[in-house]
Amino acid sequence: MLTRGTLVYVSQRLVLIAFTVVAVSSLVFVGIHRLPGNAFVSERVKGAKLELLLHEYGLDRPLLVQYQEYATNALFHADLGESFVNRGLKITPLVLRELSVSAEVGGTALIVTIGLGMLLGVVAAVRQNTWVDYLLTSISVVGYSMPSFVTATFLLLVFGIWLANVTGGALEYPIGWTGTYGTLAELSVPAFALGFPFASIVARLTRASMLEVLRQDYVRTARAKGLRERVVIIRHGLRNALIPVTTILGPLVIGIVTGSVVIETIFAIPGLGKEFVESILRHDYNIVIGVFTMYAAMVGLANLAVDVAYTVIDPRIRY
Amino acid sequence: MGAVAVAVPEEFAGGTVVREQVSLWRDSWRRFRRNRLALAASIYLTLLIAVAVVAIFWTPYSMSHLGVTDPYAGATLAHPFGGDSLGRDIISRLMIGAQVSLIVGLGTQVLVIAVGVVVGLVAGYFRGSIDGVISLVINIFYGVPDLLLALILYVILGPGIGNIIIAISATRWMDMARLVRGQALSLREREFIEAAKASGARPHRILFGHIFPNSLGPIIVQATFGIPQAILFEAFLSFLGLGVPPPTPSWGSMAGEGLKAIRFAPHIVIVPSIALSVTLLAFNFLGDGLRDAFDPRQKR
Repeated sequence: MLTRGTLVYVSQRLVLIAFTVVAVSSLVFVGIHRLPGNAFVSERVKGAKLELLLHEYGLDRPLLVQYQEYATNALFHADLGESFVNRGLKITPLVLRELSVSAEVGGTALIVTIGLGMLLGVVAAVRQNTWVDYLLTSISVVGYSMPSFVTATFLLLVFGIWLANVTGGALEYPIGWTGTYGTLAELSVPAFALGFPFASIVARLTRASMLEVLRQDYVRTARAKGLRERVVIIRHGLRNALIPVTTILGPLVIGIVTGSVVIETIFAIPGLGKEFVESILRHDYNIVIGVFTMYAAMVGLANLAVDVAYTVIDPRIRY
Repeated sequence: MGAVAVAVPEEFAGGTVVREQVSLWRDSWRRFRRNRLALAASIYLTLLIAVAVVAIFWTPYSMSHLGVTDPYAGATLAHPFGGDSLGRDIISRLMIGAQVSLIVGLGTQVLVIAVGVVVGLVAGYFRGSIDGVISLVINIFYGVPDLLLALILYVILGPGIGNIIIAISATRWMDMARLVRGQALSLREREFIEAAKASGARPHRILFGHIFPNSLGPIIVQATFGIPQAILFEAFLSFLGLGVPPPTPSWGSMAGEGLKAIRFAPHIVIVPSIALSVTLLAFNFLGDGLRDAFDPRQKR
């Protein structure tokens, strides 16, 4: 709950997050600007014309001056500069729009992860040492070892191609994104591919902690006083089994954020991850730095939110 | 203490049943052998290493020779896994890809152990402000999206398999450092460390002569779990077209190229995907087996 200690803890963490974001983004800024060549190499502009172009973008100034300007704009005007490749394209609104798309995909994936993972874990624990348990445990081991792009590939094969062939095109998963935001049908396959490896981890953890909890005395008491099995499992078992599971929510969020880079590229989703990869390939470094900074801040805040959520889920935890 | 001579029957000598002396390693090996999945995984991985070694000297066709098959050719007797979009033999490329994956996986862990063990030992043994600074750095690295940082680092460092290893290690050393730090923190309070100190051992001798050998079990387990993660990272980078420079194939880049032809030649993407998944699965089984073998109490 919100106590003084929690507030102190949260503000300490915010300082650490700010420090991390600044440190990492300046490292990336310096590293990328020291790279030989620049965004204009591919355009074959040479000599005076190139110098004029570099001057226009302020790239001929000392690195420190460039960094100072970049940091001031980013911090005080929330302005991440302009794209080098698409001249005059402001990065901030672009990145914000793409962020909302990524959040849609990532959020759905997180729901898949937690929902599916908990369901599989609970069922496996309740049916411990039966074929159901062995099947689900094997699925989760395989799911954990399968990279998300492999899951995505097989989903594409099944839903995008084979299913369409078998049903004569009646059932076809449309590969690609038609609007800015995905419809539920368009969203389902990428979200599943993104969330499944992490769902396997959640399932493993839920199963282990569920087995631990179901052996406790209070669960026996609950059964003894005649509560229905479903109530025992959900209210007495699952609620307490959730605490260890919340500890991996932080790494989970990082995993989904980084995984989205690959999934968005495969499914042609116009989100932040796809932009990140394309900007690297296009040498559009302003966007790379902007997107990376944004990712670092997001991951930091998500981790903090998870840590604060512990105190709500488990009142014994205090900061 | 005065020894009292009592006639004790031979088999009760010492009050306990005398058992054959078993070292930690032999004991672990015995437990490991009982885990059939881990054993199967180690057989598979041994075969994989053999394939990678063979591929140094011989592959059925050249990995980069265009047109040894028809483009997108399906499986035939001469080309068991068919050909890719440029008519290159897939099984030859798969063999080289195994090499790349193993080099990246093992190379990364060598680097991670080198950095993580030293940093972790120093932080855990000396504690105080050194530990404070190191822990802060570890926490900062944990707060960064690792794959993306590895991507950017690799772009900054430039292409090459060595740079992939450096970029991945830079984002994956913290688990090892944190583990070793914990080991050092608990081992430094034990009596044998006190004895070593009393006999005048210097810190580096205590760290590398006493604490490090005693935490070798968990380090090996952690490194085994680190290998598939590194392989996965490399596959991700290559899949996105930012990995090992072509024409050298990697399972990730083969899958990435194959995805473009998924509609009419799905085998190009399926073959490397399965190779990658099975390898990752094998390393994870091996890690599980080693963890249970070295620390039976932790068995889940």
